[in-house]
Amino acid sequence: MTLSRSPSPRPGGGWASPGLSSPYIDVSGRSSPAQGYRGGANGGSSVTWESAKAKSEGVNGYPSFSTQNNGFFNRHYRNISNSLPRFNGGSDKSYAEKEKLGRGRWMGAPGSRIARLQNIALRTSRKTRLRLLGVLAVIVMIILFYTTPLHYYWRRNKHLGGGKKHVIILAANQGGGVMEWKGPREWAIERDSVRNKRKYVNRWGYELEIVDMSTKKRYAHEWRESWEKVDTIRNCLRKYPDAEWFWWMDLNTFIMEPSYSLQSHIFNNLGKNTYRDINEYNPLNITHPFPAAHLDADALSPVGDGKESSINLVVPQDCSGFNLGSFFIKRSAWTDRLLDVWWDPVGYEQKHMEWEHKEQDALEFLYINQPWIRPHTAFIPQRKINSFPPGACSENGNDTRIHYNEHDRDFVVNMAGCEWGRDCWGEMYNYRELSNFLNRNPWELFKEEFVAVIWFKITGKKVRL
Amino acid sequence: MHLALPSRKSSNPPQYAPRSPRFPTIRRSRIQAMVIGSLVVGSILWLLSRLVGGGDGIPSGVPPVVIVTVVDEVNYSKEYIKMIKENRIGYAKKHGYATFFPTNKDYDLGGSPTSWARVPATRHALSKFPYSSYVWYLDQNSLIMNPELKVETHIMDKKRIESLMIKDQPIVPPDSVIKTWPHLKGENVEFVLTQDKDGLAQGSFILKRGDWSKFFLDTWFDPLYRSYNFQKADTHALEHIVQWHPTILSKLVIIPQRIINAYEPDHYTQTEGKYKDGDFVVRFANCETVGRDCIQEAQKYSKQWRTIFNSR
Repeated sequence: MTLSRSPSPRPGGGWASPGLSSPYIDVSGRSSPAQGYRGGANGGSSVTWESAKAKSEGVNGYPSFSTQNNGFFNRHYRNISNSLPRFNGGSDKSYAEKEKLGRGRWMGAPGSRIARLQNIALRTSRKTRLRLLGVLAVIVMIILFYTTPLHYYWRRNKHLGGGKKHVIILAANQGGGVMEWKGPREWAIERDSVRNKRKYVNRWGYELEIVDMSTKKRYAHEWRESWEKVDTIRNCLRKYPDAEWFWWMDLNTFIMEPSYSLQSHIFNNLGKNTYRDINEYNPLNITHPFPAAHLDADALSPVGDGKESSINLVVPQDCSGFNLGSFFIKRSAWTDRLLDVWWDPVGYEQKHMEWEHKEQDALEFLYINQPWIRPHTAFIPQRKINSFPPGACSENGNDTRIHYNEHDRDFVVNMAGCEWGRDCWGEMYNYRELSNFLNRNPWELFKEEFVAVIWFKITGKKVRL
Repeated sequence: MHLALPSRKSSNPPQYAPRSPRFPTIRRSRIQAMVIGSLVVGSILWLLSRLVGGGDGIPSGVPPVVIVTVVDEVNYSKEYIKMIKENRIGYAKKHGYATFFPTNKDYDLGGSPTSWARVPATRHALSKFPYSSYVWYLDQNSLIMNPELKVETHIMDKKRIESLMIKDQPIVPPDSVIKTWPHLKGENVEFVLTQDKDGLAQGSFILKRGDWSKFFLDTWFDPLYRSYNFQKADTHALEHIVQWHPTILSKLVIIPQRIINAYEPDHYTQTEGKYKDGDFVVRFANCETVGRDCIQEAQKYSKQWRTIFNSR
């Protein structure tokens, strides 16, 4: 095989391979050389707009019968040949040819993968390349955003993610201190519960306030002992001036789905996620609206003024009434007033024997008897923030309004009343494991749902990876 | 003419074809005109709404003050009640105020003393006249003696109330540890009342409309206070909540007694707080106690106020 001239670089990448030269080597598919267009005004091999247009219009200075685009093969030759695998010349080539092929090569060998990539890269237009670059840059930025602490600060920021507007108040050590010594199980419960909240808070940029609720002689007024919710919330209002919503949580709660943010789960759509009219679920049989004709329109309306902005207190109800194991309260003048009148010595003196749930009973009493409370209180379906384990409220069996259901991926479990004859630590442990199981990451899922299952089928042994 | 080759097109065709006229787009200058136009129209509308709506969405023609008096139709004669009402109405007409006279049987007090009726009555006035700025509760056994004085300017004006307020005053004289606030601004005042020798005098008080007043009245009316057997029912309950709850204390102002609650001098032993001619109000305090007669005590003043009202 001889060549009439030395092989020259081609726009398609690589060098002309003499062994494969064919009459179809030209892009246009014509049998005669089309030098006139190649060496056009631009002097280079690039196809300019004018030349392409001229060519497509057939104004080429040649006889008018067309030799272009006739026949399937002519038209698709390039596509087909590009998609075929390429082969190196092989060992039957002469030494000189090989030598030439391997010399001074800055692009990949004609058949190599690199060359093909370069080929693709060269064939993509400038615009497409810029677009691809843009997409790549966005992807890189997203990855950087989530791998660096940047997303934490974003979520925390008052104006961007709004995390600073939410404070979790975790009541640790309730009734502890002098009255009751903590054993290893109590320590373990506290450790798990705190860790769970801390992880959640770090994920979403909220604030966490762990308060020590142990019984102490703190008040001149001895009655007031263990009525500390009010003072705790008030201290938090002062400590976190940026915060808007305060989420009170008892120690025996566990956030099962840390991937839910409070904003997306509740506050972005507070009106839809809560109900103002207690008649919707009314275990206490409270007459609502307030049974007195002399009140204003808002107090007589079952839903207050119906606006989201007027909701200052969000309380779940369990089978026996309000439940303050997990509730929200908002910074507002109304809240200041409620916190102020929540505890009153005259009320306490008359009712402290009756009100064994303290603030909870007092709040129910206020809700029933003081009309100004109602237009600013909303109730939230219990399972949104306060699902019960099967052991609590179990008189009537399992209730879909009350009890935790792992298929619905409830947000929070509150092991309410577990200290009265149930195993707090056991429940906490089970829910912790369940939460971990439900929220496995893709790698864990792959290991446990795929590799381990196959391994089990092959060897008959269960493995923990 | 016949040529072998067709004529060549220009080798430098125009780079861009002229924009197709099929889709006429809005020119920049037109967009500017539209934006400016809509801004102008919007601001005019806004100004108009401000001018017409009067700012707070208060409809025009609303009485600025409502005078509330709970009447006891059982223990007092019809004439006396009528005279009391005429007194209030005569005064209210002069200034465009409204009056409201519920009886002490109108509200469900749950068996507690009838003096409690003033609390739901005031709440009722607040909801009946939701746009009135002030509600003035004036006890039945009292008479307005000076029709010239207006509630808004004589008492509730910002500067005026700041000059009237008694700061650092023990709530229950002489030596209660809870005292009125020393730094209260005129615009933060929600509740105005006076003090007599026994403590807070709730025979005459003024409330500003708003959420606070509803909260305050509902708290005052709590059934636990009504059932507690305070010796002086609502009076002591009021003293109790004022002293225990700072959100109430911080909105309360005590003003000199003679401004809105001067006592009839013949039966009042204190030197301060006795009625003198020209005072706004005279009250026959504690005339309902055994051995005294409210109607008789009022007789002198009931003639007097008519002459004063007619002369001005």
